[in-house]
Amino acid sequence: MNIDIEEIAKQFGTTAALHPVSLAIPSGTLVALLGPSGSGKTTLLRILGGLEFPSTGRVLFDGADATGLTVQDRRAGFVFQSYALFRHMNVFENIAYGLRARPSKTRPPGAEISRRVNKLLDLIRLPDIGARFPSQLSGGQRQRVALARALAIEPRMLLLDEPFGALDAKVRKELRQGLRDIHDATGLTTVFVTHDQEEAMELADLVVVMSGSGSGGRIEQIGKPEDIRARPNSDFVREFISA
Amino acid sequence: MARTFLLRQPTPMPGWGLSFGVMALMLSVIVALPLSVLLWRGFIDFGAGAMWEVVNRPRVWSALGLSFRAAFVASLFNLVFGVLLAWVLVRYRFPGKRIIDAMIDLPFALPTAVAGIALTAIYAPNGVFGSAIQSTFGIRVAYTEWGIWIALIFVGLPFVVRTVQPVIEEIDRETEEASATLGASRLRTLVRIVLPMLAPGALTGFALALARSVGEYGSVIFIAGNLPNVTEIAPLLIVIRLEEFDYDGAVAIAIAMLTISFTLLLAINLIQIWSRRRMGAV
Amino acid sequence: MTHIPHNRWRPATTEPALVRWALIVLCLAMLAILLVAPLMVVFDEALRRGWAFALASLSEPDAQAAIRLTLLVAALTVPLNAVFGIAAAWAVTKFDWRGKAWVITLIDLPFSISPVVAGLLFVLMFGANSALGAWLVAQGFPIVFAVPGIVLATLFITFPFVARELIPVMLEQGRAEEEAALTLGASGWRTFLTVTLPNIRWALLYGVLLCNARAMGEFGAVAVVSGKIRGQTTTMPLMIEMFYNEYLSVAAFTMAGVLALLAFVTLTLKTALEWRYADQLAASHRH
Repeated sequence: MNIDIEEIAKQFGTTAALHPVSLAIPSGTLVALLGPSGSGKTTLLRILGGLEFPSTGRVLFDGADATGLTVQDRRAGFVFQSYALFRHMNVFENIAYGLRARPSKTRPPGAEISRRVNKLLDLIRLPDIGARFPSQLSGGQRQRVALARALAIEPRMLLLDEPFGALDAKVRKELRQGLRDIHDATGLTTVFVTHDQEEAMELADLVVVMSGSGSGGRIEQIGKPEDIRARPNSDFVREFISA
Repeated sequence: MARTFLLRQPTPMPGWGLSFGVMALMLSVIVALPLSVLLWRGFIDFGAGAMWEVVNRPRVWSALGLSFRAAFVASLFNLVFGVLLAWVLVRYRFPGKRIIDAMIDLPFALPTAVAGIALTAIYAPNGVFGSAIQSTFGIRVAYTEWGIWIALIFVGLPFVVRTVQPVIEEIDRETEEASATLGASRLRTLVRIVLPMLAPGALTGFALALARSVGEYGSVIFIAGNLPNVTEIAPLLIVIRLEEFDYDGAVAIAIAMLTISFTLLLAINLIQIWSRRRMGAV
Repeated sequence: MTHIPHNRWRPATTEPALVRWALIVLCLAMLAILLVAPLMVVFDEALRRGWAFALASLSEPDAQAAIRLTLLVAALTVPLNAVFGIAAAWAVTKFDWRGKAWVITLIDLPFSISPVVAGLLFVLMFGANSALGAWLVAQGFPIVFAVPGIVLATLFITFPFVARELIPVMLEQGRAEEEAALTLGASGWRTFLTVTLPNIRWALLYGVLLCNARAMGEFGAVAVVSGKIRGQTTTMPLMIEMFYNEYLSVAAFTMAGVLALLAFVTLTLKTALEWRYADQLAASHRH
C-alpha cells in the first residue's frame, strides 16, 4: 500500500512536536525514520497508526484520505517499543487477540484462528511457545511475538517503534535480518523508527533523516542509504550519520 | 541464643536487641497472648465438640449467615463501584477531583458509631432517604438487611478504590493502544485488557473490605434492628452472650467467625498467588 | 476517492466524552449519597435546636468525662503504638532474619479481627472469671470494666497503623544512609535520630494521625471491655450510643459532630501530607 503524508504537523498544547512534513512511501518499501530524540519520528509513526491526530495535514492510504480513520479501522500492524504484550494472556492468545476482536461476520472460526496463529509462530521461528506467558520469554522472543501479533490482523502496513531498542547487540543483529525476511515475505509497506543510523542504513530501502528543534521535528533528507551516505544534504545529516 | 538463631547474617546495624525486644514484647502481650487465651479457652477448656453444639443452633447460624452474606453483598458492591471510582479518579479530569479523592477516606476517619447513627437518621422511615425510598419502592431500609448492606458499603468503600488506584496509574498506555491497533473496540479493550490487569488489586481490596465488614459492629447495630434470627449480626450475638456472662458461648461464636474469615482470606490469597504467577513478576 | 470525515477519529486510550461525563456524574452522585449525606445529617441533627442547646449538651458532666477519657485513651495508646511501630519497622527493615513474614502477618492480624472479638480477648484474659483477672481485682487493680482494659483493647485495634505505614517507606529507603552514618562514627541513637527519623517523620506523622483517629473513634472493642459506667468508663463513641438510646438526639449528634470534626481535621492533615510529602510516604499513598 502507498502511504502519502501531506504537510502533517502536530502540536501538543503549546509545544510543537512536528513541523509540517511531507513524505511519499511507495508500496512495499521498508522505510526507516531516523533521528535523535525530539525529532518527532515517533509522533509521525503514531499519526500513521492512528494513535495521534495531526494538528494539520492529511494522510493518504493508496490515495484515499485516511486522516480521520479510527485506530481500529486502520489495520496498521503496530509493534510498540515496550512490545505491550498482554501479560495475562499466553503467546497464543496474544497473537489470536486481533482475530478474535473482529465482528462476528468477519471473524474466522476457531480452527482457522489456531491455524493462522501456528503459521505465524512458524514464521517467527518460535513454533513451540504458544502456551507460554510473556513473562517467561526473553526480550528477543517478546519482540518476535509482538511482530507476529501485529501480522495476525493481516495489516495493510507494518509500523514499528524502536523495534530493537530494548535488546542487546547480538540479538539485535539477528532480529534485524528477521525483520528484513518477514518484510520480503509479506511485501508489506513497513515503517520503523530508530535513532541508530547503522540500523537504518543496513536495513531500510529508504531512510528519512529527521531533526528536532524548538519549532518541532522536521525532515532533513529522504533517500536510499547509499545516496544519503554519499551525499548528505546538510551538516546535521553528515554529523548524524557519521556518529 | 535467640540472637544467632534469628539473625541470618551478622550486620553492623545497631539496635537489634532493643527494636526486636520492644516489638516482640508488645506483639506478645497485645496480640499473640490474648489470641492464644481465646484459642485455649475454646479448644482446651471448652472443647471443639462443645463449641460445635453452641454454634450449631439456628440463631447462631442465622447470625453468622447474615454477617457473611451482608459483608459479601456490600463488598461486591464496593468491588464494582470501587473499580469504577478509581478509574474515574485516575483517568478523568473534572473540577474538584482532588477534594473528592481526599473524601474517599472518610469511612476510615469517621468513627463507626457516628456513621451508625447518621445512616440510621437518613434511612429511618422518617429520614430523608428512608421516607423517599419507602414511598417510591416500598422498601424499608433501616431496621432490615438493607440497612446492614448500606452500613457495610459505607465502611468498606475506600478499600478497593485505594488498592486499585495505584495499579491504574501504573498501566502502560501502550498496552491499551496495542489492543486498539489490533482492531479491538474501546469496550473490548477495557473488558479484555484493562480489567484483567486490575483484577489482583481489586481482589485484594475486596478481601480487605470483606474482612472489615464481617466483623463490623459500630456502624451496623444502630441501623440493623437487631431482631434475633432476622437482623442480628454475629458480633452482636457475641456481645449478647457476654452480657449474659456466657463466656463459652461468646468464645465459640468468636472462633467460628475467625475460622470462616481466615478460610475466606486464605482462599482469596491463593487466588492472588495463582493470578500473580500467571502474569509474572511486577 | 472516498472522503472520510475527520471527526470519526478519537484517542485510543480514552472513552467517548459522553461516557466520561456520565461516569463522573454517576460517581459524584453515589458519593453524595454514600458519604456526604451522612456527614451533613450529623450537623443538621446536632443543630436542630440551635447552637446554644447543642453546646450545652457537651458541657454536661457525663459528656465532659467522656471527652476527657477519650483524650486520655488516645494519649496513652498513640505514643505506645508509635514506639511499637518504630521498633517493629526497624527490626523488620534493617535486619535479615527468619520468621519475618510471620511477624508481619501477626502485626496485620488485628485488621482482620472483629472489634468485638478484640474486646472479648481482653475480657477472657483479665475478666473476673479468669484467675489473673480475679487476682488483679483483689489487688484493687481491675483491668476489665476499667480504664486499663479500654486502653488495651484500643491498643489491639490500632496496633498495625504506625508499623504498616513505616515498613514500606523504610524498605524503600534501604540501609545505605544508616550504614554511611555508622562508618562516619555516629552512634546507633545518633544515626536513628539524625538520619532515619528525618527520613520517616512524615510517614510517622501519617501513621500517628490514622492511629489517633481510630483510637478516639473505636466503638466495638471498647464497648465490650468498658462496662459502660457513666462518667467513668464511657468514651465519646459509647456516650453517643447512650445518648442515642435515651432519645437525647441532640446530645448524641452533637457528640457525633465533635468526632466528625476530628475526622475532618484528620482527613485534611492526611491529604495535606499526601500532597506535600508524597515522595516520603508509602507508594500506595501517592496519587
